[in-house]
Amino acid sequence: MDKLMRNKKAIILFIAPALILFTAVLFIPVCKAVYYSLCNYKINYQPKYIGFKNYVMLFTKDKTMAIAFKNSIFFMIFSIVTQLIFGLILAALLTNIKKGRNLFKNIYYLPCVLSSAALGLLWMFVFMPRLGINQMMASLGWIEDCTMGPEWLFNTDGFIILPIWVISFVALWQYVGQSMMLYMAQISGISMDIYEASYIDGCSKKQSFFYITLPLIKPMVATAMSLNAIGSLKFFDLIYNMIPEGFLSHKADVIATHLYTQAFKFSKLGYGSAIGVILLILCLIMTVIINKFVKTESYDM
Amino acid sequence: MNNTMTISKEKRRSRIITTLIYIFLVILAIIYIVPILWVVITSLKNDSTLMLSPWAMPEHIEWGNYAFAWTKGHLGTAMLNSFIVCSITLIVSMVFGSMAAFAIARLRWKLSKLAMYYFLIGMMIPIHTILIPLFVQFSQWHLSNTLTGIIVPYITFSLPITIYIMVGFFEGIPNELFESACIDGCSVYKMFTMVALPLAKTGFMVTGLMSFVANWNELLVAMVFISNDAKKTLPVSLTKFVGPYHTNYCQMFAAIMIAIIPTIIAYVAFANQIVEGLTAGAVKG
Repeated sequence: MDKLMRNKKAIILFIAPALILFTAVLFIPVCKAVYYSLCNYKINYQPKYIGFKNYVMLFTKDKTMAIAFKNSIFFMIFSIVTQLIFGLILAALLTNIKKGRNLFKNIYYLPCVLSSAALGLLWMFVFMPRLGINQMMASLGWIEDCTMGPEWLFNTDGFIILPIWVISFVALWQYVGQSMMLYMAQISGISMDIYEASYIDGCSKKQSFFYITLPLIKPMVATAMSLNAIGSLKFFDLIYNMIPEGFLSHKADVIATHLYTQAFKFSKLGYGSAIGVILLILCLIMTVIINKFVKTESYDM
Repeated sequence: MNNTMTISKEKRRSRIITTLIYIFLVILAIIYIVPILWVVITSLKNDSTLMLSPWAMPEHIEWGNYAFAWTKGHLGTAMLNSFIVCSITLIVSMVFGSMAAFAIARLRWKLSKLAMYYFLIGMMIPIHTILIPLFVQFSQWHLSNTLTGIIVPYITFSLPITIYIMVGFFEGIPNELFESACIDGCSVYKMFTMVALPLAKTGFMVTGLMSFVANWNELLVAMVFISNDAKKTLPVSLTKFVGPYHTNYCQMFAAIMIAIIPTIIAYVAFANQIVEGLTAGAVKG
């Protein structure tokens, strides 16, 4: 048996396809991206090494990058906080009702499996000046005319502009089901004995939520938060489809859309790679931070 | 007497709370369903009635919108392409992924832990970072504008989660099964196909669902690598067809519906399995 499982030929045969593909399509390109980010590299030219100039440019001269960075960080914080709160509330409510639990759960989860490209277009129409929300507000008499309503996707005033708030809420709408399901899965794993013991000791439902449920699902909070953080940093589809290109002169850009425009609209491959590397570093940092601060020892349930 | 009164009071209070919870849940459900319903209704109208009475039901059902989106928006071809891409990705990533998972979970070699970490790091790398090097590389290999050119990165990005979940399933198989297979004279390859694979069916369902849903909806890679209408996948064709510059709203709504209907049908049919499967994957991830 032992000899059989140490068969070198078999080991290589089993691991090789995945390992080769993974190295060739993921790790070598990451190294290449780091190299390109140190180069002046335009499409159809050879990359030329220029040191850290791309990064210096990104952080000092590029105004769109500053906006994109601000928006991305806002998205991340917004989605971490709201998904945590709403995900927990929904999970707590749904575990406490009996009738219709599955139905509600499935409804809230539905947008998670739909294409965010399609949903982005859908919500763009909902927030169009003459359609959707504004039309509804006009027919209810809240505003005189569709065109008088808020310019949901075109108002560029303020530090965090209105379109970014709108998109944040759409993202919350789409992905809160994911967090809810993660928390529900964890809550259903908690043994009923603990709750029964707490009720005998005179605990109210509210108390048992704060003193039993919350501490016991802490490891899942870390998992869900890292998923949200990385997901919101990578945010592309919704924003790309909700804000038509060129409408807001890049005021609603995030890091991912900035990378896309720089690399594939202006063919600045080296510069785009630098943005990509920054995104990678941000993702790694966030994963480490969240897992360090939130994850505690897991309890035996 | 006093005692029964407090009990009935408490009962009434908890009933009120339950009602409030249900009201909240129903309102939320409406927020989830109404936008999609709005698209369904509008996609069956024609443009002139849309502007006059946007919330009314359509008087004449206009199937023409769907026909137009299907042909002019290239959504028919796009759906076929998406299906080909996702199916091939699914099969290849499962074969490669389960093989690697078997090697990591069951075969005995020094670097197996290290190999696992190597794949796990891949989960944290955003696809955006490698988009540019891949784009350069693939255009040198003449892979841009081919379905292969997006299948390869899709497989690669499906591998880490597949391997991670399958390792969990393979490790859960009792060792006695492998030992008895060994005594019966099974080779290591037979152990993989006859013992390990049949016992990890749930794992295949979970990872298959995750990779299919993710790749079916993927936009960025497909948009960068493919510019030929005949090769576009569904999210790309949709994004290019629908836009503020296009004037017929109802046709665009029909296009959005075409893009999400297959997923909605699959979801309605298998909602519980899909939700459970995707959550199981995410929990382990």
